[in-house]
Amino acid sequence: MVNSMPGTPTALARIKDAVVANWARLVLGIVSISVFIACWASVSYYLSESGNSLSPYLPGPLPVAEAFLDSFSDSVPGLTDTTMWDMIASSLIRVFWGFVLAMVVALPMGLAMGSFRVLDAMGKPLVEVFRPIPPLAWVPVFLMVFKSFWGPIGIVFLGVFFPILLNVIFGVKNVDQRLVDAARTLGAKRGTIFTKVVMPSIVPYMMTGIKVGLGVGWMCIVAAEMMPIQGGTGVGYYVWLSADYGRYDFTYATMLVIGLLSIMTTGVAEIIEKRVSRWMGLR
Amino acid sequence: MTACIEIRGLSKVFSSDKRRVVALESLDMEVVDGEFVCLLGPSGCGKTTVLRIVAGLEPATGGSVKVHGKQVSSAGPERGMVFQEFALFPWRTVRRNIEFGLEIRGVPEAKRGEISTKLIDLVGLKGFEDAHPDELSGGMRQRVGIARALANEPAVLLMDEPFGSLDAQTRNLMQKELLRIWSATKKTVLFVTHSVDEAVFLADRIMVMTARPGKIREVIPVSLPRPRDRTSAEFIAVRGKVLAELDEEFEKARKTELSPD
Repeated sequence: MVNSMPGTPTALARIKDAVVANWARLVLGIVSISVFIACWASVSYYLSESGNSLSPYLPGPLPVAEAFLDSFSDSVPGLTDTTMWDMIASSLIRVFWGFVLAMVVALPMGLAMGSFRVLDAMGKPLVEVFRPIPPLAWVPVFLMVFKSFWGPIGIVFLGVFFPILLNVIFGVKNVDQRLVDAARTLGAKRGTIFTKVVMPSIVPYMMTGIKVGLGVGWMCIVAAEMMPIQGGTGVGYYVWLSADYGRYDFTYATMLVIGLLSIMTTGVAEIIEKRVSRWMGLR
Repeated sequence: MTACIEIRGLSKVFSSDKRRVVALESLDMEVVDGEFVCLLGPSGCGKTTVLRIVAGLEPATGGSVKVHGKQVSSAGPERGMVFQEFALFPWRTVRRNIEFGLEIRGVPEAKRGEISTKLIDLVGLKGFEDAHPDELSGGMRQRVGIARALANEPAVLLMDEPFGSLDAQTRNLMQKELLRIWSATKKTVLFVTHSVDEAVFLADRIMVMTARPGKIREVIPVSLPRPRDRTSAEFIAVRGKVLAELDEEFEKARKTELSPD
């Protein structure tokens, strides 16, 4: 063989090493989760056997797993004709609209603030005042004014808005000046430079903003739905309701669902990011 | 032969709050049509600044720059530029990089394809049309850079140390390739370099710049026939002459750097 020199591992050996390393990681992951579940089961068992008054608050792993499975097939305790699917759907719709609205406002605003110094100087003080306020601080007012559907959407909007805005502004300001120079010598004027150099350049920054924003969005939606005033749907709402009914097995099951949802939406964003950057020829 | 680039009394001052740097002072030069001119000088002498002013990327502080009798005031497609770090659009394929200038001028797609295919052939990138810049070697990237600048059919090709970031072998190969492309297209070339060897190998005339503030110290014509042999006695003689000029300027640059302002 021409390419392989003595002492260098062959492709096969390298693949084998990678598989072994991944197996090791997988096994270690399973071990740590098993240990966690075992601890959880022991504490729960100990509490219920000793008749401790805290026992209802910590059902064992088995009842939680059962509640998790049941919640997808049957109506959940405390609600009629409502499965976990319905609650996932209503939360997803809220996150989706909050996210879309945030994109629609943050993207043009970020492009404008990044491109024009005057707008940057005008927008920055507002951003600096409103950004540090936790979106959840708006919950009482938003729920009163925008009611149970648009209220939580507004909260998600605030959570997603700032990460996207700030990343887009940063992206515009960090456009490679050499590419702008190249475009100018090729005959491009301001408008063309904006559409053909600045816009493609900010895509990776925008995707970072979207990923961060989605994470914040899920935290916001759950808290916003937990508020007692609103109309009674969504995973956040059910965390609250199931606890009210004393069905903590369902509370924990719903928490698990929320975690999985957040992982899934971030995963989708990551897949889109990879696709986009491959399509654009970036790595 | 008519004058292609005419620079008279050019000056450039960079000033910030703290410092004021006179980069160029009363610089005169002229490049005629179809000529290959190398601008050579110690680092920091302002050779790239001259090029950027001719390209219209940088305003002059004083003096005049004319290309084919027309005063330069901003960047334009009749002055193509090739950059040291290639400055290719990473999200565009080789073909779409080359077609950038045509695209923004509104050249129809079929015509664009025809022109870019011809240029891809000329610079030797056949088979790489759909590759993205990060899949190419440095030498290949600069071939794209040259083809992209040529697509606009500029009167002048401005080259800012285009082979400066390539390894020695690739650099020698690219110099030969550039001469081949130059003789095929008959463009006027203004080429900035700090390599004496590169300048003697390529240029019809070498303009040696002084240390800052930069102006033209000496114009050295190179009348050796091409292809030039780097090991020939004539080549070495020209090289020696250029080096002697440059050495004095290096010495001056070193002294001003050491002396307090």
